[in-house]
Amino acid sequence: MKQIIFIVAVSILLASCQKEKITIGTNVSDTFYLDNAGESMRILVEGNTSSKTFVLFVHGGPGSGSFVYNTDYISQNIENKYAVVYWDQRNAGASQGNSNDNHLNLPQMTDDLKKVIQLIKARYGQNSFVFLLGHSFGGLLTSSFMTKDNNQSMVKGWIYVDGSQNYPLNDTLTRQMLLKVGHEQVAINKNTDQWNTIISYCNGHPGNFTIGESEQLGTYATDAETYIDVVTPFNYVNALLGYAVEDKLPLTAILINHLYSSNASFNNDLAKTEFSSVLYKVVTPTLILFGEYDFICPKELGYEVFNRINTNDKKIVISPISGHNLIFQDQVLFCNEVNSFIELHK
Amino acid sequence: MCLTLIFTVSALICFSRNADTLNIEKIPYNLKFSYNSSLIYPGASSGVEYPFQRINVTKFLKTGKKKSFIKDRFITANLNGYHHPYFHDNLYLTVGWTMRRTKSSGFFTEFSPEIGLSRTFLGGTTYKVDDNGNVSVRKLAGYYYTLVSVGGGIGYDFSKTTSKPYMVFSKFNVLTMFPYNSTIYLRPVIEIGMICKLSCFRSLKVKSKTKNK
Repeated sequence: MKQIIFIVAVSILLASCQKEKITIGTNVSDTFYLDNAGESMRILVEGNTSSKTFVLFVHGGPGSGSFVYNTDYISQNIENKYAVVYWDQRNAGASQGNSNDNHLNLPQMTDDLKKVIQLIKARYGQNSFVFLLGHSFGGLLTSSFMTKDNNQSMVKGWIYVDGSQNYPLNDTLTRQMLLKVGHEQVAINKNTDQWNTIISYCNGHPGNFTIGESEQLGTYATDAETYIDVVTPFNYVNALLGYAVEDKLPLTAILINHLYSSNASFNNDLAKTEFSSVLYKVVTPTLILFGEYDFICPKELGYEVFNRINTNDKKIVISPISGHNLIFQDQVLFCNEVNSFIELHK
Repeated sequence: MCLTLIFTVSALICFSRNADTLNIEKIPYNLKFSYNSSLIYPGASSGVEYPFQRINVTKFLKTGKKKSFIKDRFITANLNGYHHPYFHDNLYLTVGWTMRRTKSSGFFTEFSPEIGLSRTFLGGTTYKVDDNGNVSVRKLAGYYYTLVSVGGGIGYDFSKTTSKPYMVFSKFNVLTMFPYNSTIYLRPVIEIGMICKLSCFRSLKVKSKTKNK
């Protein structure tokens, strides 16, 4: 009898937990999920929903999750003006599902993104403006979205931060940058042992990169920015742990999803993926932000987007103190540029 | 070499197991209630322990001291849940095998593997968007998972030193749920609770072992 009472009580509690909550205000925090193709993806909307302007963060990885972007600085400098949408892609962050690896691919994620935007507009009003912000792998995903069908008509602007629209080119540019900066650093006697190891590897791997070589270049690229004095240090794990309790992060899910996605077989397909050849389709206003010392996605990728998109309403800004995480390494520049861009185009 | 080994094993058997007796004892069923916290996220657990086996062990140490403890084995069934805001609520039913070793002082240690079924309820309204852009709400959205739990803990049995028929315990469990996003989900859980000895009993043949060390 006691167990029956317990089950009933818990059921009532659970039913009440899932009550639909759509908040229009200036300091909102709504969490909801989008169920699509075997995955329930977490979406957190924070900030000023009454502005009817939404900045949708498309995170990196794949599999990194969106929790890390929800910093105090962004809360105080973007969320106070607009709403920010933190979307955990499939198999990332707090997203949940069963056996769904057959859906883990870029076309499916592009469809997910489209449905996230449709859901935002359904919840907060069809007259809402959405600005798409892709970081790192999110650059590839938003490139896929922006160049498919008439998707770009759903957004008012595209913000491209340290992204990659062309993985094969990305590897080549990373290698070139590691060699160029490496030689410069050795010449001025900075971290010579580390740079010589990197230079030696790059010289031994000139092109046609395998997945293993691509990953090794990525590892060296991650390390390389830490050898540059002017780059603001940023530690992803520390940033995440800093908000673990306050934001009630499901840490084991974030870790497991990240490990799974970053090693999943669809990365083999991503390694051959490029959208450079279809960027001419983009006519949407675009803001491009890159770190001067981003070895993971070198700034030449940003210039390629700038040169290939088919709009005059575009701007590229390079942060002199950033590596691959300009959003955190040059927060002032990031928020100022994003806010100015949105004000101009909303 | 072989003879030496046989002699050693035989000697060990002869000298260490001096006396084994078998008695019928009435062992109570237990009812468990606990706070089932996943670090900072609250939860609860309740269950029953069905006595399956008991062995009373008495050891005589070389120093002349006597050391006795009870080895209990229970089949357990538990209904558990936790609430992780904005992530999920998880309700899970498990059956398990508990191995408990209770000293004459009342302190005990236990280890228990469990297997069960989990049903999660997502921590927010869940929507479906069809290919035409129509949005609908999914009621009670969540997932079923196979769940394996392994845990160990310590506790104190008040009935050993007083007439109070209950125990308190603390236990650390690791929950493994699968298939979770085509892989596994791990979650550490800490249980703090009470086990009440019921007044209904199961008659068991209890073996008493005496060992010399």
